[in-house]
Order: sequence, then C-alpha cells, then structure tokens
Amino acid sequence: MSMTFEDSGAVLEARKQYNAKLAQQADKRRAWWFPIAVMALLMVLPALQLVGNYNYLLHMVLFTASYVAMASSWNILGGFTGYISLGHTVFFAIGGYLAGVLLARYGISSLISAPLVGLVAAGFGYLIGLITLRVRGPSFIISSLALLMIVRILFDNWHFIGGANGMALPVTDLGVLWAKVPYYYAMIAIAALTVICAYKIKHSKFGLGLRAISKDEVKAESAGINTRLYKVLAFAFSAFFIAMAGAVWGEYLTYLRPNIFLIILVAANMMLMCILGGKGTIAGPVIGAILLVAFNEFFVAMMGASELNILGTGAIMAAVLLFFPLGVVGTLAKAGKLPRILNWD
Amino acid sequence: MTALLEVTNLTAGYGDGPAILSGAGVDVQPGKVHCIIGPNGAGKSTLLKAICGMLKIREGEVRFKGEKLNGLRPDQILRKGICFVPQERALFPKMTVLENLRMGGFMLTDDTVVNSRVDEILDRFPILRERATQLAGTMSGGQQQTLAMARTLIIKPDVVMLDEPSLGLAPKIVQEMFDIMRVMADEGITILLVEQNALMGLKHADWGVVLDLGRTLFEGPAQEILTDPRIQELYLGGKKAA
Amino acid sequence: MADIIQLTILGLALGGVFALMGSGLSLVFGVMRVVNLAHPALIIAGAYATYWGWRLLGVDPVLMMPFSAALLAVVGIVIYKVFFEKDAASAKYSDLTVLMAFAVAMIVEGALGGMFTNTQRVTSPSYATEAIFIGEIFIPKGQLIAGIISMTIIGSLGLFLKFSRTGYAIRATTQNREAAELLGVNLRFIALLSFAIGIALAGCAGSLVSFVFNFFPAKHWEWIAIMMSLVVLGGMGSILGTVVGALLLSVLASYVGAAAGATWSTMVFFVALFLVLLVRPQGLFGDKSELAS
Repeated sequence: MSMTFEDSGAVLEARKQYNAKLAQQADKRRAWWFPIAVMALLMVLPALQLVGNYNYLLHMVLFTASYVAMASSWNILGGFTGYISLGHTVFFAIGGYLAGVLLARYGISSLISAPLVGLVAAGFGYLIGLITLRVRGPSFIISSLALLMIVRILFDNWHFIGGANGMALPVTDLGVLWAKVPYYYAMIAIAALTVICAYKIKHSKFGLGLRAISKDEVKAESAGINTRLYKVLAFAFSAFFIAMAGAVWGEYLTYLRPNIFLIILVAANMMLMCILGGKGTIAGPVIGAILLVAFNEFFVAMMGASELNILGTGAIMAAVLLFFPLGVVGTLAKAGKLPRILNWD
Repeated sequence: MTALLEVTNLTAGYGDGPAILSGAGVDVQPGKVHCIIGPNGAGKSTLLKAICGMLKIREGEVRFKGEKLNGLRPDQILRKGICFVPQERALFPKMTVLENLRMGGFMLTDDTVVNSRVDEILDRFPILRERATQLAGTMSGGQQQTLAMARTLIIKPDVVMLDEPSLGLAPKIVQEMFDIMRVMADEGITILLVEQNALMGLKHADWGVVLDLGRTLFEGPAQEILTDPRIQELYLGGKKAA
Repeated sequence: MADIIQLTILGLALGGVFALMGSGLSLVFGVMRVVNLAHPALIIAGAYATYWGWRLLGVDPVLMMPFSAALLAVVGIVIYKVFFEKDAASAKYSDLTVLMAFAVAMIVEGALGGMFTNTQRVTSPSYATEAIFIGEIFIPKGQLIAGIISMTIIGSLGLFLKFSRTGYAIRATTQNREAAELLGVNLRFIALLSFAIGIALAGCAGSLVSFVFNFFPAKHWEWIAIMMSLVVLGGMGSILGTVVGALLLSVLASYVGAAAGATWSTMVFFVALFLVLLVRPQGLFGDKSELAS
C-alpha cells in the first residue's frame, strides 16, 4: 500500500492549515454589560430593607460573595497554576483572627483593616509557599492538608485568641435592619476585586507563566520562567484575597472559632466550587459558588443535618468529576455553547 | 509474499486529543527488519502503541496472520505473539535482573518453561548472568536495553517492536543493540523498529517506512530509501519537512 | 531509663497499628497512583462493622476482623467500579483522582454520620483494659495484641507480594505500569484486586482500631494526615517504608506526648510530614519519580 511521494505536498498543505487554525482563535466580542448589570443590581439590593426585612436574602448574597472571593482566589493557585491546595482555609482563619484581634483590642473595623490583613496573610502565604511549593502533585496536596492540621492544633491551643472556644467580637450598633449592609458591600467589593484581579492575572505575562507551569513545569522552567517565584507569588495572591474575605466574615459573624474557620469542609468547598464551575476559568468559580450555595441551601432545607450535607457535597463533587470534569464553563466552552455573557476569559 | 502484520489506514490519538495517526499503514513481512523513520511528532511511536493495543484505534485495522487485532488489550495482543519494547526500556527498576526476566514470561503459566527459558537467555547474554541478582534500575543504560530486548525472547514472539533502542546510549553501545537486533532477526523474529536516527536505523534494516503527519508517505527497501534523493533531502539531511 | 523503654514499647505497639492503617493506602498508591484520601474513612467503616458485631452479637473484635475485611473488600470493589475505574485506565497520577478520593471520603463520612451519628464509640473487650507488667514496665494488652496482629498481617502481605504470581504482577505494576501491561499483566484486574486488598486491609485495621481508639465518622480527617505522614516518610508505594515510618513516628510521638502533652504528640506526625516533604520528598525508600507526578 505504498503511496506515491507526490502526496507529501498534500500532507504539508494539511500541516499549514492545521497551524493556521490554531492561530485563528477568534477573539469574540465581550459582553461587558452583563457583569456590570449584575453589580448594579447587587448595589441597589439593600434598598429592599426600606420596604421590609430582607435580611435572609442579604445574608445569602453576602455568603455567596464570600465564596466567590474564596473560590476565585483559590483558582489563582489551583486553577491557573495547577497546585491543588486543601489547606487554604488557613488564610481564611489568619484573616479572620487578625482582623478580629485588631477589632477587639484596638477597635479597628475589618472594613478598614482588611487590605492590611490581606497583605499579612499574603506574607504568610509567601513563606509557606516557599516551603510547600517545593513539591508537586500528591505531595503538595498532602502537605496542604498537613498545614491545615498543624494550624488547627496551634489555634486550638493558643489562649491569646481563645483556643478552641474562640473569641467573641464587639457587635455593631447599627439596627437589625442595617447591621448587615456595610459587610454586604464590603464582601461584594472584595468578591468583585478578586474576580477582576484574577482576570488581570490570567491575561498578564505572569498569568501566562502560571498556566505554562500547570501544563508542564519543567518545560516552563527551561523556557526561562522563574517557576519558583511565580508559584510562590500565586500562592501569596490567593492567600491575600481569601484573608480579606476571612477578615470581613469574622466581624460579620461577631465571633471567631477554629471550628468555623479551620475546617476541611470549607477548604473542600473552595476546590469544589472551582471544579463545579470550571477550573482555571474566570466565570467558573463565580458560577460554582452560586451553584454550591444553592445546593447547600437545598440540602439544609431538605435534610437539615450537617452529616447528610457532607454526604451531599461529596456526592455532587464525585458526580461532577465523573461526568463534567471541566465544570460548567469548561464543558459548555468545549461544546462551543458557552453563552457570551459567561465568557469572561 | 503475504504480510505477517498488516496495518491499513490507521487513525489513532491519545485520549480525546487530536488524531496523531491519520491513515497510516505498513505491511510487515515475516523475518525482516523494518525501520520506521520520520520527523518528531510524525506518529512513529504512536503507530507502535496502536498496534500493541495501548492506544485505541479510531479507524482502520491491524491484522496479524489475517486475524483482526482491533480492540484487544495489550496482554491479549502479546499472547498472539507481538511484543513491544517501549522507549523507556520498560524495566522494573526495583526488581533484580532475574525477576525482570521472570516477569517477561508472566503470560506463560508453566514455571518450569519460564525457568528453562530464563536460563537459555542468561547463557546467551553473559552480562545478564553476571548481574542476575542486581536491581535492574542500577545497571547502565546499555545493560538495561540489553535486558529489555533479551526479555522479549522468553515468550518466543513472532514480532518484536522496538521504540528507539538507541535512545540515550553511547554510539559504541548503540552498535551492540543493533547487533542484538540482527541476531534476533536471524532467528526468524520479525522486527519493527522506530528510530530517530534515520540513517543508522535504515542501515540495519531490510525495509524502510517513511511516516509524517500521521500518514505513511513512502515505503520500500531500506537501501532504496537511503539513496533516494528526495528522502535524503527531507528526512535524512537534517532538514525537517515542516 | 525505664520510662524510655516504657514509652518505646507503647510507641511500637501503636506504630504497628498505624503501619497496618497505612499499608493499604501505600499499596493502592503504588498500583493505581491514587492517593486514596478515603482510606481512613473506610477504616472507620470497618471499625463500625466491628463495633456493631461486638455490641449486638457479642462477637470479639478480633474475630470480627475477617468479616470486616470481607465487607470492606466488597465496598472497595463497588467504590472502585463506580468512582475509579475510568481513571484507572489512564495509568497516570492525576489531581482529579485525588479529588475524587476526597469526594469519596466525604460520602463515606456523611453516610456513616447519617447512620450512626457523631457519638464517640469504642469496643471494650476484656483485653482492651488489661495490661501486662514486666517489672516496672506495663504494656496495655489491647495495644500489644493489635500491634502483633497488624505486623502479622503486613508480614503475610509482604510474602504474598514477594513470592506469588499475582504478587509479582502487583509489584511489577507498581514499578512500571506500562511495562507490566506489555508483558501481559491485565492492569484493570490488578488495579481492582489491589484496591480490594487495600480496602480489606482498611477493614482489618478498623477492627483493631475499634478497641485501640475512640472513633466517630469525622475522626478520619485527623487520621488522613497521620497516615500520610508515615506513608510519605516511608516513600509512597513502599510497604516496608510505611512500616518503618509508622514505627519511627509513633515512638517519637510517644516521647513527645510524655514530655509535652497529648495534643502535641499528634503534631509530631504533621511536622514530620512537612519536614520530609521539605528535605526528602521521595521519602526514605521511595523514588523521586513517584512523587514528581
């Protein structure tokens, strides 16, 4: 079945066309109006309080926003860089506790201290990253789990911050109707900031480097990328936003306890939201957060108990991994059916 | 002459990825050494992996002694008599040379047969007998390649497919590997060789196959391919076709 | 001096149990490249099976062991078929598989919690509270029995892997999947078998754990980090390494516990995990390649 040599011309032509197809990734027009409209809606939502008590609604939005911030933040390390961390609640706790101490001792609200707290957590993230990012794959996942365990034991036994019993924070003197509103805006601002920064990072040279690392770290390194610095910076960035969310969340709850901030379920949720929505995409974590909160509400409403909640979360996670490992955004994008309003990449 | 192994119009790729092979074919004649050449990414290794069942065949067919092999698992294809030695030598680094050879006869259920054949091989390759109790991972590259090739003999296969046996070896050692290959061919084992070093490979082969972009461009007697000016320019002179 | 000997013996007995808890994890990682984060949750499932046999039927926990192992082997096969079979074919370590194991751990924990609540349980056969005295040194009988049984099981596993035909296939698959497949090993079968054996070992460990520790469904998170530390110290996939890691760390934890209090003794495992990853990521007996993904 020997072919004539003249065929090689056709083969070369085919290769040229193949290359051209790769280059011609059409840059679709973005639907900027959609996120802006959503933000505008969220901004005016608290006005509902003028006509009734919509505290539950505000709480749900705030809660979702905190998850959006955490998931988008986790995504910088887990999605872009490909390092799956199961210990990122550590930074949530650092944020919450640091802001809590500042509030309890010096009366500084987390609304002011959040960025500072974020920076401190980023510093911690940088240092921890220097240690744990030396390893890849399963070792990294395990080390992140160990980090969580270590910090949990430390916090449980640290009397200055109340140990396992935690500490109570001063309550705001705003009335019942308006008490949530400052935190509502703060959390939405943090969530929006995280998403925007994630977008900026993804489209920067830095983000390109991170994605190169997730594809093949050795090749990325040989291409001249300072992979160590890039990874550690990604770790610090993701710590920064999560800590900000933690700062506001602690003050909003008015108490801090290790078993709220340092449980593996929250760490699992960060990861689950990213995978549910689409790891490594911008819109993915946002969609994942909304879906997860909806699922959670559904389970709590249907079955109440927290143990079944864990079962449900695990089952959803397994189902997504089995059937849609690319998540909502990834699956739709692969099928070419991603609506333009959700294409934020 | 009827082909021993007949590959026609083969399309295959990794996972859901793009097809690496698209319409590749090769006719393997019994008792001959066949060398597949082509640029990086042409699909040479992929072709071997598709034949031995490690990759799913999307289209086309592989026939061995007239029997269709499509869809069989590697262990089933091995039973038919086709043995594959992949690029990375495929040894068990923390098993001894002896244990490695025994693993070579894994599909033989009779222990006495395995033992006697292992003994035969140790007789033929004194270097392996010398190192029988050494862990395979601690041997030199050449010794490892010798072990990997020798190990195929335990099941007395009809076809042995070698993926770049010269990879990472010093030129002098490479020559030894080709010598072993020639001995195997002289015993009637049909060889299907993939070689990055096309000149070297063709020199030791009877039949040459040129593969690019997943298709078979040309096949013919190795000598003819070596001297064909068009192939020399595109694939042997260092200049890549694409 | 007597104190040191005392603490060493206590550490070794506990280390034996930890070794059994970790060996199934190590086996599964070796063959399937799956970091089975659900392993400790399955140990707890085995502990519950034993607990109910003891509580309802009055069967001794050690006698419940074959039953627990068989039950867990079946559970293992189901879990493998439902959650891991797809990935098993790909033959490579993948983050997604670890996440899948994480999801399975949550499912098992949630199911156990839903059925049996989060109350602390423990079986208390007579030997669990007895002790043997040799001079000033006392050895809790329960821990001693558990340690000895654990080492016996691991020893049998070792012989099986070293000398049986299936053992050859399992070791070969651990060292080089592709090569094993090319030599005629049916990888799917070996993966399924190893997973079933690994989870059966979790069932055995569960029976022993039932009278050595208090347990409740959520306890497995603490164990996962402990087990990971010894498996990582020993080198992922090496069962001998797991045993050595378990004994070393348990003895160390026993010293630290005596010097600084029980809270800090668990810290030993986590800090060790960190240090090992830092200094020698491949562990004491492992290959670099096994962890570099």
